[in-house]
Amino acid sequence: MNTFPGESASWEGVDAYFTWANSSGMLVFLTLVTAAICLAVIIAAAKHESETSDNTK
Amino acid sequence: MTLEELNVFVTTQANVGMEAYYWWCTGLMIIIHVGFLMYEVGATRMQNAVSSGVKNLLAFAFMIPTFWLFGWWIYLAFPTGFVPGDLEGYGVPWNVSMGPMLSDQATGVFWAAFTLFACTTASIFSGSVIERIRISAFVFLAVILGSVVWILAASWGWHPDGWLVTRFGFHDVAAAGCVHTVAGLFAFGVLLNLGPRIGKYNDDGSANELEGHSLVLSFVGLLTLIVGFFGFLGACLIWAGSDFGGWVNIYGAPATLSSFAFNTLMGLAGGMIGAFWYSKGNPFWMMSGGLAGIFICAGGLDIWYPGFAFILGTIAGIVIIPANNWLHNTFKIDDCVGAVSIHGVCGMLGMLCVGLFASGFPAAGDIPPSNLIGQIVGIITMALTGFVPGYVISYIMKSAGWLRVPDHVQKAGIDKAELGLQAYNQ
Repeated sequence: MNTFPGESASWEGVDAYFTWANSSGMLVFLTLVTAAICLAVIIAAAKHESETSDNTK
Repeated sequence: MTLEELNVFVTTQANVGMEAYYWWCTGLMIIIHVGFLMYEVGATRMQNAVSSGVKNLLAFAFMIPTFWLFGWWIYLAFPTGFVPGDLEGYGVPWNVSMGPMLSDQATGVFWAAFTLFACTTASIFSGSVIERIRISAFVFLAVILGSVVWILAASWGWHPDGWLVTRFGFHDVAAAGCVHTVAGLFAFGVLLNLGPRIGKYNDDGSANELEGHSLVLSFVGLLTLIVGFFGFLGACLIWAGSDFGGWVNIYGAPATLSSFAFNTLMGLAGGMIGAFWYSKGNPFWMMSGGLAGIFICAGGLDIWYPGFAFILGTIAGIVIIPANNWLHNTFKIDDCVGAVSIHGVCGMLGMLCVGLFASGFPAAGDIPPSNLIGQIVGIITMALTGFVPGYVISYIMKSAGWLRVPDHVQKAGIDKAELGLQAYNQ
């Protein structure tokens, strides 16, 4: 899959040159995944702490 | 070489130089976190040493994506108050501006520097709550502080278009307010709800000293922190490149890196000497005094006479000890590293000193000159911006049972109970 935002093998007319730079939908999706990872890990850590607390009693 | 080619060459070199400068400042700022890690782990009792380190590292790890998600946008969007300005998409993470662009050499390195400022802010809070805050709760609060609260305050008072700057002439070049005061007062708000470590206070209200397991580690960590702060302070100046010629402060007024060098070192030395004298040689306070000496000078780091920076540093090194004692005796908090005193109190004093001793310094464009009223408004704003969210959010978390490590886990040791690890083989 080629995600380079310009013509293949050319920098002509390219400014934002990162992967999926031309696909705003993909950028929103990846942003949401990033946020979800952060949130999920905090929730998982909180659950682990609660379980640990119960097991330590 | 034609004049046009020369112009392209000079502009290109200025841009590359700017990128390289902030790149290395960012790298140097990571050393702050090495220092914080050593400092906090050393100040922790052996049974909780690993969890203190993990907590500190997680603050660093979570600050980076969350500052990319919303921290940088908050800084750019809120200079006028609580209503976001229209940036036409710039700064939101799904906009092309938040990724590599050939036409923009500045955003990435500025974002990185500000991200490390955010990490520093979270780490200031981190040390005060060791040994009894839940790691998940800490991470959540650190994200609130580092990627929302301090950067909102920075948008108001550490931004050339911030309302504190444009309306009141607020002057705080090295973030005594938005970083140190906000983080110190946020920590104070959380400490009131978090409560002290088990065994800190007796039934009659008297306090016990819960000594960390390695004074040497804390000692070296504090000095390492100071190394990293040279990256922090260096990144507080703006490399104006070929547009303006030389350095400007964050408000766009002329400045020099030399002024920062003079006053950082003189404030540091004053703080160490003042705390050494007042504490009768306690190395923890001596090194904390060095930091406090820098922070009290931070507001006017670009304009102090170095001899005065030394005197201010000395005062800071002395003040932090009775201020810390007063906070503990009055509010029965357990600020394990004195963060409220060192960062909160000295940050406020630093802003006040600019109003008292450096009023009338001209700013750039239509920004009013520095003045006492502006500094007082800034102090109140920064203190409230730190304290209110810290207190309110931690109160809600406490009510939900998601703030404090249960007493029986504290007694068992967090490292063993939660992580299944121990810092040292015994």
